[in-house]
Amino acid sequence: MANSNLPRRIIKETQRLLSEPAPGISASPSEDNMRYFNVMILGPTQSPYEGGVFKLELFLPEEYPMAAPKLGRICLDILKDKWSPALQIRTVLLSIQALLSAPNPDDPLSENIAKHWKSNEAEAVETAKEWTRLYASGA
Amino acid sequence: MGNFWSGRRRHNYFHYPPPPPPPHHHHLPPPYYYSAESHPPPPPPPPSQGYFITNTYVTPPPLPAPPLPPTSHPQAHSFSYPNGYSNCPNYGNSMTGRYQYQPYYVNQGTSGWPAIRPTAGPANPPPPYVDHQAAKKVKNDVNVHKDTLRLEVDERNPDHHLVSFVFDALYDGSITIFYFAKEVETCKFIPLFPEVEPVRIPFHKGAGQNFCQTSGTGIDLGFFALDDLSKPSEGEDVFPLIICAETYSRTPSADENLSESTPDVSPNMQITQAVLEKNGSGSFQVKVVRQILWIDGARYELRELYGIGSSTAADFNDSDPGKECVICMTEPKDTAVLPCRHMCMCSECAKALRLQSNKCPICRQSIEELIEIKINNSNQ
Ligand SMILES: [Zn+2]
Ligand SMILES: [Zn+2]
Repeated sequence: MANSNLPRRIIKETQRLLSEPAPGISASPSEDNMRYFNVMILGPTQSPYEGGVFKLELFLPEEYPMAAPKLGRICLDILKDKWSPALQIRTVLLSIQALLSAPNPDDPLSENIAKHWKSNEAEAVETAKEWTRLYASGA
Repeated sequence: MGNFWSGRRRHNYFHYPPPPPPPHHHHLPPPYYYSAESHPPPPPPPPSQGYFITNTYVTPPPLPAPPLPPTSHPQAHSFSYPNGYSNCPNYGNSMTGRYQYQPYYVNQGTSGWPAIRPTAGPANPPPPYVDHQAAKKVKNDVNVHKDTLRLEVDERNPDHHLVSFVFDALYDGSITIFYFAKEVETCKFIPLFPEVEPVRIPFHKGAGQNFCQTSGTGIDLGFFALDDLSKPSEGEDVFPLIICAETYSRTPSADENLSESTPDVSPNMQITQAVLEKNGSGSFQVKVVRQILWIDGARYELRELYGIGSSTAADFNDSDPGKECVICMTEPKDTAVLPCRHMCMCSECAKALRLQSNKCPICRQSIEELIEIKINNSNQ
């Protein structure tokens, strides 16, 4: 079973995430697979995502920390070529939180949304707010 | 939802050193040095006798000076640990846990001013796999704490400035203060301006001593141009301020066979080279450019190591993130990366890392050497 051979580092990271959670971020391991985390990140205040709760799934591959955590479709360089084993789950989640504060339309996952964002930031912010309300609010 | 942005450009501050132990600043000891110098031997037995200074150097790689990577600035600086000896809880007073190592021999045993390895070089192809070098300790007899070096106005003689600093000495010896002097042969300095005579002041052995130049022996810096004071000159081997700390005698210790009677035994000396900058309030600020150590005819240049301070295995505490290897977060750090000087891994993880990357985990500079530093060994 995946949990029987969990590296000390993962155990420690998990303990620290639970005992000293970063503000606005919660990450808890799944009971049947301690390499699998359910993550919630609150939309940063003053951002279009304020009031939203963003749920993510994070998975620590066998090679972690030599390889980056797996995190779905998020374009974050530290999850790719800029990964360093000195980074941790916490630093990754903080980076994502920072991304919510300052989206980077120059490196988009969605070309349309990025175009929208670049050509009409105000409107894009409104859209983000609306979607936050619709899809990322409440539990 | 919410997955459509990316952070390639905006989040640079996360790319750079993910400072490992964020909330524990107060546990972080002062900056460390690699090079042939250092202080508290690992778990320094209460500074009782003679063992409070331990130095570490590294066996010389049989290569010419390796080129440094092209981008050597963004480097470690932002990552160095806060200064202040008092911050270090691990040691007794005096030699608060600084270690200095040197990665290369710079001219062993010859006299004259040896070439210093270049500080920059052309970008090179990725370095070949470099195995660990084990650091070896050498002892230096005297150490000037470079960040305590000050230049203050002589109150009884307001045109003149006096030097002060904290130092440790295993033996009696002397401090010599030079202004604008050039090292002409091993440990011999010639002042550029003969009228500015060096000041020599004897000291007794002891750790954590305050050196304060006596009133009346100071220097009138008005004699020099500010511009000259603020930088080294003549191919960088003339420094505005040089402190030579030298011990007179040395009782032979177990690991060396020093013939005490030989009159011209090579001196054991620490040379601190500094420039002086006038700050806004008109007072001078001392900036140490370099510290050099001469031990038994070998010259070592002292360099800081980042992160070593928090890792003495002696009181390694499993729950202190500052001391643990950034990779396994379990073992104490004992391996430093060169040239970036990040002490950040345990040796096992360093070996594992080298199998798949040649980038420092902290700063992503190429790894040219890994140096294993066993500061907790009692075998030396
Ligand atoms: Zn390790
Ligand atoms: Zn580094």
